[in-house]
Amino acid sequence: MRLRYLLLLLLAAVVGSALFLYGRSQEKKEVFDIILIPKVIDCDSDFWTQLIDGAYMAAEEYHVRLRMAAPEEESDYERQNELIRWAISEKPDAILLAPISYAENSQAVQMIVENKIKLILVDSDVDIKVQETIIATNNVLAGAAEGAYIKELLDENSQIAIIGHVKGSSTAMEREKGLREGLGEMADRIVDVVYCDSDYNKAYELMMELMETYPDINVVAGLNEYSAVGAARAIRDMNKADEIQVVGFDSSLEEIQMLEEGLFRGIVIQKSFKMGYLGIQAAVTILEGKSVPADIDSGYELITQENLYLEEYQKQLFPFREE
Amino acid sequence: MTNSIDYTLKLINQVNRDIDSYISYMENISSLVVHSSDVQNYLFEDLPEEGREDLYQRIITQFDAVVETREDIANIAVVASNGESIINDGTDVLNEYNVERYLDSIAGKEISLSSSHVQNLIKNNYKWVITLSRSIQSPFTYRQAGVFFIDLNYRIIRDLCENNSMGSNWYIFILDQEGKIIYHPKQQLLYYGLEEERIQQVLACSENHFVANEGGENKLYTMSASEKTGWIVVGVANNLDLMKSRKETQKLYLYTAAVLLMIAVLLAAFISAAVTKPITRLRNSMKEVEKGHFESASIKEISHNEIGSLSKSFNLMTSEIKNLMEQNTHVQEQKRMLELQALQSQINPHFLYNTLDSIIWMAEGNRSEEVIIMTASLARLLRQSISNESELVWVKQETDYVKSYLTIQKMRYKDKLEFEIQMDQDILEQKIIKLILQPIVENAIYHGIKYKDTKGLIRISGWKEDGCMLFEIYDNGRGMDAEEMKHIFDKNKSREAVRSGVGIYNVQMRLKLYYGEGYGISYESRLGEGTRAYIRIPMSRKEGKG
Repeated sequence: MRLRYLLLLLLAAVVGSALFLYGRSQEKKEVFDIILIPKVIDCDSDFWTQLIDGAYMAAEEYHVRLRMAAPEEESDYERQNELIRWAISEKPDAILLAPISYAENSQAVQMIVENKIKLILVDSDVDIKVQETIIATNNVLAGAAEGAYIKELLDENSQIAIIGHVKGSSTAMEREKGLREGLGEMADRIVDVVYCDSDYNKAYELMMELMETYPDINVVAGLNEYSAVGAARAIRDMNKADEIQVVGFDSSLEEIQMLEEGLFRGIVIQKSFKMGYLGIQAAVTILEGKSVPADIDSGYELITQENLYLEEYQKQLFPFREE
Repeated sequence: MTNSIDYTLKLINQVNRDIDSYISYMENISSLVVHSSDVQNYLFEDLPEEGREDLYQRIITQFDAVVETREDIANIAVVASNGESIINDGTDVLNEYNVERYLDSIAGKEISLSSSHVQNLIKNNYKWVITLSRSIQSPFTYRQAGVFFIDLNYRIIRDLCENNSMGSNWYIFILDQEGKIIYHPKQQLLYYGLEEERIQQVLACSENHFVANEGGENKLYTMSASEKTGWIVVGVANNLDLMKSRKETQKLYLYTAAVLLMIAVLLAAFISAAVTKPITRLRNSMKEVEKGHFESASIKEISHNEIGSLSKSFNLMTSEIKNLMEQNTHVQEQKRMLELQALQSQINPHFLYNTLDSIIWMAEGNRSEEVIIMTASLARLLRQSISNESELVWVKQETDYVKSYLTIQKMRYKDKLEFEIQMDQDILEQKIIKLILQPIVENAIYHGIKYKDTKGLIRISGWKEDGCMLFEIYDNGRGMDAEEMKHIFDKNKSREAVRSGVGIYNVQMRLKLYYGEGYGISYESRLGEGTRAYIRIPMSRKEGKG
């Protein structure tokens, strides 16, 4: 009787200890909890899809518990502020934020830091400097690359028109500045700079007006996807594809098709996948107590018809998607 | 390590076989299509419009069937050099901007297999695929007049690799002959330069595996090239992690073993305690029994096992022995009592006869005064002798008895015998076994005084000494030599002295029986100097036996 009890006890002890040890061996070191708040979740937006993909791939690599929340409209900073407050209430280790507005997100951003949550900005900046680091495209360099490429397309009579996205926005100013640097002494060929407010139709209209005002324009530089595509649509509709060469910014399927078509001579793409990946990587590095540079350049790439289908760019331009 | 290689090889060979079977299927389709008369006729025969349309519909139906039924096939199409095309279900159109580049890239090749790429030949398609292309020759010119291509869904390859990658420390990637990546789980990271892969090392390696050291971690690369596609499937195992997991397993085993050992030791202690405790108890009880302490020997705690039944038997045995011993003691007691009675009950008949004879003589001589004294003494003597009610008597009684006896003897021996009796007051109220002084006095008379020519003296004294009573019977008879002393307690000697009724031997025996060794009679004597007999008796016990 007593022996049987003892044997049962022994069995229980063995099973218990085995489970305990198994559990211990399965234990992960430390899992960081990070919340990603991009500007928008939009399946049609390559930029954001890739950024999110990159973040998730890094999360897998660094065993991060990653959650995500985003507004449905890229311009809805109020919703984004709500989401920031929700994220703070979740008490994550870090928040990865792509702020919609330079000025309107600042208050919420300040709260993140006040709650002792590490803040990492991706893609865009805010008017207060409280973040650990910012991972974004160096827009001056990217603009300069666009300018340098345009410079090669110019002949002695060339006239250049610039279609920006939002007047006064940091990215527009930086890209324009870079563009001028890239053009160098040819910067005086710029005849006009207009802003489309990130609207295809406005860009289209502006391009129509430009073609009328400056019939000799033969190079158009778009500073983002909306301005470049809107302009290209207008040029195609006016059958001026042979006369006017467009160099764009950012990528979309339409833009790629226009590149294949020859409407675009080239596009400068940002590396949003890398932004997302580096964002998580930086967050983990910071949480581990190590330091990272205050400013991380995620890089850019100039895509032309020639390199469009090269192995290394295909994957960047055509992210693999679940059908 | 060899195990890891074998295991990985099995895995990647399976991946290779699976890919080969997909490619084989594509080849078969391509061969079927390229040689089908429908396609040949449609492309190269001059046919009326209606006939062409029929042919087109027939081909499209076939293509559609393939794309619809086979999940692995993304696209199937024929592109002629003259711009004619038949694509999937007929709703897709060529992406004209990329046709030329494509045709250039496969020119002169009978059959070619692409790496993974985005399908840009079909407008708005842009699917990730692997393309098998086969040139179509004109039956008239024997020149390339078109291309057939069939696309394998990239997802199939990816799933194949992902499903065969075991755990986070394993992954599989695929290269084509030129080292272009067909599949890699971190393809994007590689293209962005966020990570690197040892593609050159894989291509250069002549064996089927190598170990690469990366930041202190060993990675095991195992490769298998397909003869069909020329693709190299590479399985990568984080070797250090394997080692680590092995170390962890070892640690786990060690811990488990240690815990088990501890439990085993505890269990052993428990069990042995459970077994030895009753045994120890049993042993202690046995020791008690050995010492004769039967009361404390009984085992109270009885467990329900073999030892328990042994203990029970032991208890039974002990009580049985105890009973037997008590019985034995009782029997012995009885026996001793009987013996004692036998020994003491004898009164010498010769003495009685001689005394009565003396009385007759005295009566004849009209010495009535003496007759009265002697008869009274004899009566007292007899009364005490036959009073068997108690074995024990007061010292006073015993003294009276011996005094009666000596009175008779003194009268018989006339003036030849004189006696004195001196008993201390504090022993008179003690009890002793009866008839111990008289036989010694009798012995003193018959063996001491009797042989003396002058007047004999017998002096009896008793006192207390060291918690004992000591009686001394002194006679000034002829004494004994050493030889006689030696035989004084002998039975033979006693038998010789049987006349005296109760011999020294009997007294000694009775004393020893009743009081134990250490008590009894001792003699001091020398020839011609009289004899002293001492009787040593403990002060009377509280309760009289008997």
